[in-house]
Amino acid sequence: MESILAGISLALTWESITAVFIGLLAGQLLGAIPGLTATMTVALLIPYTYYLDPWVGIPMLIGMFKGSLFGSSVTAILVKTPGTPAAAATVLDGYPMAQQGKGEKACKMALYSSVFGDGFSDIVLIFGASFLAAIALNFGPAEYTLLVAFSLLTMGFVSGAKVWKGIVAMLLGMLIGIVGLDPVTATPRLTLGFLELEEGVGLIPMLIGFLAIAEVLRQMELPRKHLAMSTVSFSADPADRRVSWPEFRRCLPTLFKSSSMGTAVGALPGISATVAAFLAYNEARRASRNPEKFGKGTLEGVAAPESANNAVSGANLIPLMAFGIPGDIAAALILSALLIQGITPGPVVFRDNPEPIYAIFTALLLANLFNLLLGHGLIKVARRVVAVPKRVLFPAVLVIAAAGAFAMRGSVFDIQLVFLFGLLGWGLTKLAFPTVPLLIGFILMPILESNLRVSMLIASSVPDPLLYFFQRPAFVTLIIVMLLLLALILRRVLRDNSAARASRLKEG
Amino acid sequence: MIDRIVKSALALVLTAGAAVAQDYPSEPITLIVPYSPGGNGDITSRFVADQASDILGVKFIVENRAGGGAFIGINSCANADPDGYTICFISTSPITVRPHVIDAPYDPMKDLTYVGQFLLSKQPIIARSDGKFTSLDDVIAYAKEKPGQLRWSAAVPRGGPHLATEAMFRAEGAVTTFLPSKGGAVELANLLSGTIDLAVISDYGPALDNGEIVILGETSPGRNPQAPDAPTLSELGYPLELASFFGLAAPDGLPDDVIAVWDDTLKQITESEEFTTLMERIKTKGAYLSSADFTAQVRADYEAMGKATQKFGLAK
Repeated sequence: MESILAGISLALTWESITAVFIGLLAGQLLGAIPGLTATMTVALLIPYTYYLDPWVGIPMLIGMFKGSLFGSSVTAILVKTPGTPAAAATVLDGYPMAQQGKGEKACKMALYSSVFGDGFSDIVLIFGASFLAAIALNFGPAEYTLLVAFSLLTMGFVSGAKVWKGIVAMLLGMLIGIVGLDPVTATPRLTLGFLELEEGVGLIPMLIGFLAIAEVLRQMELPRKHLAMSTVSFSADPADRRVSWPEFRRCLPTLFKSSSMGTAVGALPGISATVAAFLAYNEARRASRNPEKFGKGTLEGVAAPESANNAVSGANLIPLMAFGIPGDIAAALILSALLIQGITPGPVVFRDNPEPIYAIFTALLLANLFNLLLGHGLIKVARRVVAVPKRVLFPAVLVIAAAGAFAMRGSVFDIQLVFLFGLLGWGLTKLAFPTVPLLIGFILMPILESNLRVSMLIASSVPDPLLYFFQRPAFVTLIIVMLLLLALILRRVLRDNSAARASRLKEG
Repeated sequence: MIDRIVKSALALVLTAGAAVAQDYPSEPITLIVPYSPGGNGDITSRFVADQASDILGVKFIVENRAGGGAFIGINSCANADPDGYTICFISTSPITVRPHVIDAPYDPMKDLTYVGQFLLSKQPIIARSDGKFTSLDDVIAYAKEKPGQLRWSAAVPRGGPHLATEAMFRAEGAVTTFLPSKGGAVELANLLSGTIDLAVISDYGPALDNGEIVILGETSPGRNPQAPDAPTLSELGYPLELASFFGLAAPDGLPDDVIAVWDDTLKQITESEEFTTLMERIKTKGAYLSSADFTAQVRADYEAMGKATQKFGLAK
């Protein structure tokens, strides 16, 4: 208890409060710029945290991560350009809302959802880290395979558009996802001889091209008079500019479910915030009473991915704090910053030297508060920026998109990829193929493939593979849960079909 | 007035620049890091750039050019002018190991000058501390008794530590199952969860401090200071052992006076107190080698790996 209070008081000094504040502000601004991900900025800053106390340096990094997740959704909503890959799913309903004049409402919902997801996973981290981490360790390659395969399966049923188009789009995404080195033999595959493709098609060029460039191309087709207008108009109706309490309350079930999903994903090492956002979006649509409204600007469609991707950021620290295993690159960066400070996360640090850890927890909660406060300011600024006419904004988007793709790894090849995917995205939209299955297929395929193949290697290494898998409690639990969910989905598909048939009969 | 001050200051700077243009360095130096920001390689490179900037009195521009398993960044360095203003960070895998396994766009023996080494990382063979394995003898006995049932992984598939450990198993005639890796952190989780029984990774620090793992052996030359009782592979008489280095390289044909400047600079950095503290904290060991010594070391390792990949049928 004493050490908890000591930790809290460390975090409530003016140095660390300022550090959180600066980190958050920088994170929100940098997050809004495509290509400049928080991971990259934090990596550049880490050498300097060497000179700072851990309860000053680390809170700054945390503030930066949290800020960037929200900052990137502002551009996702208003300009269809996700600042970081994690906000790609926010585009799906956020951008349509902005088109209807409800951009401010969408941004505010994104802000509240982000803060909700952050707060949720931070509390889980603080009180349940060791418990959850122990559960997460039961997830091996076989369980990952099940989870991902199931997500892809449900996609086919709920993708909205014609089922065959959804499946074709998903398969195309999966095909793009397997470009690169074969995960088992490490030989190049589908790289067409490009060295740049050996590590796979970059997530950032793919997402920026597919979403932002495709949108610019689509706008270029519109009659000339459109160009003088600004891309989003903001409705004067106050109801379209804020999120009312009843609206927020209606989103609460989605928020809780998405935050839990994000927290679970974050506790599993190796699955990113981008994946969590898409999974939560998919699930929100599956569970919704009006799934047809998704993709056309529904508040839940913003709440789900935004709360999920932020929940990942806190939950990533769960395996880190419990075992010293970083869940993703962001956590790996925080780990190296901690190690540079001479702090080794894990059970031992809680016993021997817990003050800095409690200080970091306090800073996490503080960062959420600042995120909420500063977020409103960012929305106001962004509103003014996007008010410029399209003929100014869209060329700027093209340049920023190219620069963002280049910045990630200093590669001109990635700029070419951005425009290639822009053309592909534009073409697919023309042919009325849905975007979501393609993106999900692309993001999940590498996880599915490597885990499936490793599971097969494990199966060949044990005397009785079936016994091995069915002795794993997590595996059996997952199979039962999935069969139940599948039954629910099928029942709904059948009911929808018979309802459609009945209405056709009535009309006929 | 201000105008005139600025102009004369500018003139002064320009003439001063001309006067020392003979001396290296007189303009900013670009350090190419062939990996994305954030790894140990990136962090230590930036630290070295920061310190070298203080010593040499010029700015350093650190550029991350990742991709193609570090081939892309190193290749752009190999193709730059050998004037000392473009150097790159290198580690073992893209220099002495992968060029044997997969076509590299450069020839590590011809296209690069090896400027110096500043760090050697330990690559131990680790197991869970649940008592299943307490020594490499246990591991070998288990692998021989139950062919194919020992599952293990290494942070970089087909990197030096992977091949050295594989060489040990082959020398013993033991058949094992190697699971390809998604990096050290995921492998550590897989080890703790029992998906694998053995891992060869370098970022194990926190787990060791927390008593979750034990070190059974070391795949690089010299015992691990954190586990002085664990033997190295060559001590046990196994055929392959490979140093896992961090160092600097430049295009082929770097002038001797530039090499001399760097020999001096790297030595000074590795002897500094800040460097020692950083090394202690990221749980590795600084290890300075001058350009000449480093070049000899790289050549020897390259040849050893060439033979090893041939022997195990992994060569391209």
